[in-house]
Amino acid sequence: MEYNGAAIIAMKGKNCVAIAADRRFGVQAQTVGTNFQKIFEMGPRLFIGLPGLATDVQTVFGPYFVEPVIAGLDPKTFEPFVASMDLIGCPMVPDDFVVSGTCSEQMYGMCESLWEPDLEPDDLFETISQALLNAVDRDAVSGWGAVVYVMISLKFLTKKKTRYKRH
Amino acid sequence: MASTMTSDFAKPDWLNAEHETGTTIMAVQFDGGVVIGADSRTTTGILINVNQRDRAYIANRVTDKLTKVTDYVYCCRSGSAADTQAIADIVNYHLNFHKMDSGEEPLVFTAANVFREMCYNYRDSLTAGIIVAGWDKKKGGQVYTIPIGGMITRMPVSIGGSGSGYLYGYVDSNYKDGMTKDECLRFTANCISLAINRDGSSGGVVRLACITKDGVERFLLTGDEIPKFFEDY
Amino acid sequence: MAATLAAEPITGGFSFENCRRNASLEKMGIKPPTAYKTGTTIAGVVFKDGVVLGADTRATEDTVVADKNCSKIHYIAPNIYCCGAGTAADTEMTTNMISSQIELHRLNTGRTPRVCTANRLLKQFLFRYHGYISAALVLGGVDTTGSYLYSIHPHGSTDKLPYVTMGSGSLAAMAVFEDGFKAEMEKEKAMKLVRDAIAAGIFNDLGSGSNVDLCIITKDKVEYLRPYDEANLKGVRQGNYRYKKGTTAVLKKEVVKSMFEVVKTQVKTTKPESMDTT
Repeated sequence: MEYNGAAIIAMKGKNCVAIAADRRFGVQAQTVGTNFQKIFEMGPRLFIGLPGLATDVQTVFGPYFVEPVIAGLDPKTFEPFVASMDLIGCPMVPDDFVVSGTCSEQMYGMCESLWEPDLEPDDLFETISQALLNAVDRDAVSGWGAVVYVMISLKFLTKKKTRYKRH
Repeated sequence: MASTMTSDFAKPDWLNAEHETGTTIMAVQFDGGVVIGADSRTTTGILINVNQRDRAYIANRVTDKLTKVTDYVYCCRSGSAADTQAIADIVNYHLNFHKMDSGEEPLVFTAANVFREMCYNYRDSLTAGIIVAGWDKKKGGQVYTIPIGGMITRMPVSIGGSGSGYLYGYVDSNYKDGMTKDECLRFTANCISLAINRDGSSGGVVRLACITKDGVERFLLTGDEIPKFFEDY
Repeated sequence: MAATLAAEPITGGFSFENCRRNASLEKMGIKPPTAYKTGTTIAGVVFKDGVVLGADTRATEDTVVADKNCSKIHYIAPNIYCCGAGTAADTEMTTNMISSQIELHRLNTGRTPRVCTANRLLKQFLFRYHGYISAALVLGGVDTTGSYLYSIHPHGSTDKLPYVTMGSGSLAAMAVFEDGFKAEMEKEKAMKLVRDAIAAGIFNDLGSGSNVDLCIITKDKVEYLRPYDEANLKGVRQGNYRYKKGTTAVLKKEVVKSMFEVVKTQVKTTKPESMDTT
């Protein structure tokens, strides 16, 4: 986990769901790239985030060093869904948010204080973005802005990119 | 992740530790049958650290270490609980099959040798000290000991488990050839009680059984029924 | 070993292909991710008409609480349930696998599965892996022959007892049982005792926490109460910490319409090709 560094959050809102990841790609302390893809589109309104060893992120499956994060909307009911797994595939399906990555403790702290039930898409975007950006500010091996996906049930899919937080 | 916490509380290491029947087991042969006995304590294999002191946790205080193999053959288990339970289950399966195949009660010697075969073939991966005892019409009451490496020997009386170290002298001085069933029961109860008092890994109740041509009789000694010896040190 | 009741499906088993690479990464000082553990309190008692199983709901990852409300009482059969402690993935997979074998056995025989069958399958499965599958289980159920409760340890040893506890909080829970257990209890008494035992684990063991789940199995009914008791309610937030819209600087925004929309689903059956018998 610490070799490349990553931070990923998925959150539920009201009829919407969001997933966010930082964009840094590094080898230990050295930053190699600042637009690394960590979230992958698996289908309509279904994304997975893969923090962990970058080589494994690009291969997946098996006893690899990744801790996946899943976010999506049910294809029929549009019910929001978030889940995460540990490296050996134990699923965890909570009804608020999931975090994974090198600064998970910071992300847990941010999400516990910022998240509230029934957030509208715009509020969900602000909440997940600020939770992630403030968390990675206290992590040396993740950061360089974030990619946020907000999925909403109105047959739309919104993709937003953000770089620096402003207060 | 930076953390000042060094203790790994979320990983209960003793939970994952192999369970041991740190035990006292015994079997005595008499004319017409055998008497077997055991304590009832199962402890976690390794010690857990509680307040800077190592302690073993008793996973089961009423364990039955006298395990049935056929209607006339029992085994007394000592060593790893998982290993001895698995062996006893497999031997039970083989002897059931043998009984159906031959149409006769398996001999105690046969049963003991199936145990020996398992214990010898898997000697590198098993921790099992087993006493096999029972009755058959060919040789009457018999006791066979199978210690850890997988050898076998017939004895008129046998003791096993961690508690047996406290008993050798007592057994040597008190065992007599030609004891009656009741004398054997009393002798076994005395041995198990003495070992329970001296061995920390043995404890609980005293379980006894007697196997004769009429089948198995089981006895349980608790509280006041456990024989008392000099304790006023 | 001889055929079990229902043969286990032959799958790939463990894959060791990355072991050498992972070992050399560890040698370089790179820590592998940690698996979720359920530093747990699970317990069960036999009462007059059946069994009560109980569990806390905390899952941990090192010192972090990974899940505040996870489910540790797993389904085995309609009349058998199983609490799991240890590595979360192992308890989940083990109980799932045995559950499917029991279901196949039920379909083959047409009989209500027995608790001793589940116990035997579980202990033989765990014994094969020498304790490397760290699943510590409390198995309980009611079948045609009575009510049964087993504790199953990772190495494959089992104990059949009227009251059992497992997990890191088992010492605290066992203290409550040793104090309060009585044979042939009424259902309410048994539920209260199990709740108190789990609560003792929640409050005294750092690896256990959050809520109490209960599962009461009787001859003709199963009550799965989740949560039965919320021992740790989260405080009410005093202020409003919501960020104003537009706080986050957006560099680029894209709105993508979802490509696919499920409007209608149709299932077609095709005739299987006839077997080549030439």
